[in-house]
Amino acid sequence: MLQDYPKAVVTCDGTSLLLRPAQVSDETALTEFFAKIPEPEQWFLREKLTDPEQLHKWLLKIDQRFILPVIAVREDNGSIVANLRLYRPAAESLRHIAHLRVMVLPDYRHLKVGSWMILDSMKLAMDLGIEQLIAEFIDGLEQAAIQAALKLDFVRQAVLPNYVKDRQGKYRDLIIMVRNLQREWSDF
Amino acid sequence: MNWNSNGKIILQETVRGTVTVKTKCAPGFFGNLKLEQGLGSFAHYSSIIKNVEAFEAIAHKKQGIVTLSLKEPDEIVGYCVGWYPDPDERWSSLGELMYEMAAIEVSRNYRGANLAGLMLGSTLDDDFFEDKIAYMVGFSWHWDLEGAGLTASQYRNKMMALYSRFGFREVYTNEPNVALRVENLMMIRVGSRVAAEDQKRFRYLRFGIKPPK
Repeated sequence: MLQDYPKAVVTCDGTSLLLRPAQVSDETALTEFFAKIPEPEQWFLREKLTDPEQLHKWLLKIDQRFILPVIAVREDNGSIVANLRLYRPAAESLRHIAHLRVMVLPDYRHLKVGSWMILDSMKLAMDLGIEQLIAEFIDGLEQAAIQAALKLDFVRQAVLPNYVKDRQGKYRDLIIMVRNLQREWSDF
Repeated sequence: MNWNSNGKIILQETVRGTVTVKTKCAPGFFGNLKLEQGLGSFAHYSSIIKNVEAFEAIAHKKQGIVTLSLKEPDEIVGYCVGWYPDPDERWSSLGELMYEMAAIEVSRNYRGANLAGLMLGSTLDDDFFEDKIAYMVGFSWHWDLEGAGLTASQYRNKMMALYSRFGFREVYTNEPNVALRVENLMMIRVGSRVAAEDQKRFRYLRFGIKPPK
């Protein structure tokens, strides 16, 4: 399952990235990564991994049966430029699905790094026998990620109106997108 | 040394009798053979190779490889073929560094007897590949999902398991055919004598980017 990592990706500007699962030893690089996330976006993080202490605890409790964190690392300087997490519910009734959360540093968002990360997560999910991937995006804030997901055949499954509130108190819709990973011959 | 002279022969027992796996079949070998009925065209699936003459053409290519699974006296029940990439393919720009494991297939009537593993393993068991980046591309529209009773992602996992046994690993590329569907895959096996610089050239080529000087 994870034996093929790291996987190399070269962006259109020639930057060579290695995609691989995050490890405890990545703590310093991850701390630097989360510190570079724009403050308005930090507000929406479900886990406050921008806090070094919480990040440390989170890394120590990673159990790959339930969380698979994958990072994109610059090959030339070792810095992390993107982070994707696959969350698998513990309940047997929900083991066939996984939720993904992806975050790419602003300087790399026009280089399709997010698309490669999502594609990688889809392939990883297939390797795990997962049938559906679910991604949640905040309308008006994550348009690039939504576009990347649409290009990878995610479909808008639902919209939760006024689900999240930004720092200024303004409500925003949450878009739930789903990708079916188990196509049969009749789907072709 | 003649290209075909180091071919191997392996006998494999199956529920339908003994099958002979023969690697590096030479030009002229195929004239009296025929495809077994589990290879060919079906409602939702067609074999990549549909006639015996195609093997003759592959064997005539420069260092073309045809490995067959044969049910005596004259039936082809499986095949594994390889060649250098065609000039119009992206990978040909690296010349003879790249070698495509182009197709592998076993008749619907002979599956489950490890013929694919035997054909692939015996084909790759050749010093020739130590100077090559051998690659395979798997396109889901070629897969016999109906016959195998698998979903595309299950079939993909099966392909990955088969090639992984022989040192292949999945790599990413933006080559349009591979990128068209998430189930599609490209796997490579880097020969032990392939230079790091050549591996780097190949990495950049996978994304259509010129490597830095």
